[in-house]
Amino acid sequence: MALSSTQLQAKLMREYYKDFSKYSRGKPPQKKVAWVTAFTPVEILEALDISYFYPESYAAVIAASGKEQTLLEESEKQFLCRDCCSYACCIEGSLTLKEAPRGMPPKPDVLIATNNQCNTLPNWWNILAQKYKVPLIILDYPGEAANLEFAYDYVTKQHKELIVQMEQLSGNKLDLECLMELIEHSQKSVESWNQVIELLPHREISPTLFFDAISFLITSRCKPETVELYTLLAQELLEFPLADLSKPALFWLGYPLWYHPKRYLQELLENCRIVGSNYITWWSLEYLGDEPFQKLFYAYNNTFLNLTQETKRKKLTGCIQRSGAAGTIVLHNKSCKCDFVSACDINIPQAELEIDMLDRTFVNITKAAQQIELLIESVCTV
Amino acid sequence: MKILSLSGFIPEEICDTIRFIGYQGEEKISHYCGYAADYISQVLEDDSIDGAVFPKSCDSCRIMGSYLSNCKEKFLYQFGVPARQDGAAETYLAAEIQQYQKAVEGYYKVSITDIPQRIQKVNERNKELISLYENIENISYKFYLKSIHDMLQKPLYEQTVLSELPDKPANGKPIYLVGSFLSNTELAATIENAGMKIVGDNLTESKRLFSGPKLDPSNDIYMDIAAKILHNHLSPTQNNFRCILKNDLEEIKYKNVQGVIFATQKYCEPYDYLFSIYKKMLDEQGIPVLQVVMSNSTDNRKLEFAVEAFADIL
Repeated sequence: MALSSTQLQAKLMREYYKDFSKYSRGKPPQKKVAWVTAFTPVEILEALDISYFYPESYAAVIAASGKEQTLLEESEKQFLCRDCCSYACCIEGSLTLKEAPRGMPPKPDVLIATNNQCNTLPNWWNILAQKYKVPLIILDYPGEAANLEFAYDYVTKQHKELIVQMEQLSGNKLDLECLMELIEHSQKSVESWNQVIELLPHREISPTLFFDAISFLITSRCKPETVELYTLLAQELLEFPLADLSKPALFWLGYPLWYHPKRYLQELLENCRIVGSNYITWWSLEYLGDEPFQKLFYAYNNTFLNLTQETKRKKLTGCIQRSGAAGTIVLHNKSCKCDFVSACDINIPQAELEIDMLDRTFVNITKAAQQIELLIESVCTV
Repeated sequence: MKILSLSGFIPEEICDTIRFIGYQGEEKISHYCGYAADYISQVLEDDSIDGAVFPKSCDSCRIMGSYLSNCKEKFLYQFGVPARQDGAAETYLAAEIQQYQKAVEGYYKVSITDIPQRIQKVNERNKELISLYENIENISYKFYLKSIHDMLQKPLYEQTVLSELPDKPANGKPIYLVGSFLSNTELAATIENAGMKIVGDNLTESKRLFSGPKLDPSNDIYMDIAAKILHNHLSPTQNNFRCILKNDLEEIKYKNVQGVIFATQKYCEPYDYLFSIYKKMLDEQGIPVLQVVMSNSTDNRKLEFAVEAFADIL
């Protein structure tokens, strides 16, 4: 019998966390384990039957469970400055105190960090490498601004070297056909997810659903169940009532607030519609080209935060225009310098909030309320 | 051609740049490195500067182009620095250096033909700097650093290394200084006035400037320059903390250092991450460390109390 979207989500979550519970009971995982950043070419790991775990996502889960403050404080005791990315601080605290809502993740056999979203993550992974004394692999993606030919050669050499290293680690041999099949799953996951998010401006759907549902595109994008999940989700969302177009339409430009039950400042936006968010488009990777290495290059070199400012501006402007938003809520996120500048060329009214995606104490909510009120006023009088 | 450069990654073998030292500027960006913000200010405000070259090596540098995007009348170039140090990274960086050269030649309508001569000059200068550094225990660190800052403001062919620098007191407590570019040379004076002597460092403008291999102009010059950049004493932005810890600890032990002063800029994440494990490494060795955090490139807050207190515990 076919599974519902809820059952599929539960299945994917069970699969992702299965080693956590085993590990917490003292059983080592059966497969080799890599800790990876969110834009790692995990298709290579999946093809070699290596488990992968995303510390960033887990930090979000920790904040959603309301446990982040103790852990952030603990990270300071470990000499990690609170100015650093809150994801890093939260996980540092969690690993030190051995406290986390779903148990401790299995220890890594290898650490893999990429710089295609920011330069902070590879720095953080260096700390993890020191803690666990395991190999650290940095995948360096020069980005869209670099010379295409040189960047392609450089990135492809790294991908090929990664395969060799992971073959040695896992004892498995990579099958290129299998890799291609997994890449195709990822492509289909992206296509299905894009159909899901297209519905946000048109239906009465809380953005919370999208902020939570995207986690599968991050952690399980090359699994066939993810394609199935998003295809079903798109069908289900089509049954939702049409959006109330009389409410002001706003774009959420920044991360979800993981500590917030609704992942955004819902209490300040009750009479508005959130019609779009750039965050939910970040993993809509474009696997261009014909063969696996080309596809991996385009997908992971040209992630949104690795594009030129001009391309980012065009993409973001298009995204906002398609959403029909009349104003944007821009998060000046303490933890992410790179995302904030995406908004610098957007020419519709904005409320720029000083905030953090994980640290609930890092916001002046009275000021934020005033800024949002002003934004709504200006949007309604346009 | 007056190009303001940020960081030691910009290859001085290609063309002259003016090294950014410090600036009191208008750009204030929250959660953003004050040193980088001051660089942006100078590029935007200083009419004597007609170009800017900066690396893509940390998050503040990575997004610098966004803050400079309205500066249409100046040459702007972001220099891609690999986050690895292997052969693939060298090949990529060699190509990037050639791209940089072409961009400069195209914008300024010049032809750069003296790279071998510049390599020779850098080799000679660095040889003198190495000699100076080897004698660092005996000379005033403040004057040493200031003389390098002054030198880096000049065109390469006019750069001279001062050999006669004032001595420092012989009996100070030996200190190792960690950090990025130290705009505030007063910090060095404060350290020396508190009865400590800096016997080694890993600063961008000091050891990191001349620690790479000597170049041979008869080799593939771009590959050679690339290798030198990647194999200088490493910056934390190059994501090889293990190597930094190993090399620094060797020097710290060799020089019988009694304490380490770790000077950082507020919101400089690479150094914040490095500090967390550097501190643990020093704790294991029983070596005290003082972290000094500056808010921008000209921050000259009264650091005497912290530095004096640190000198007392050594």
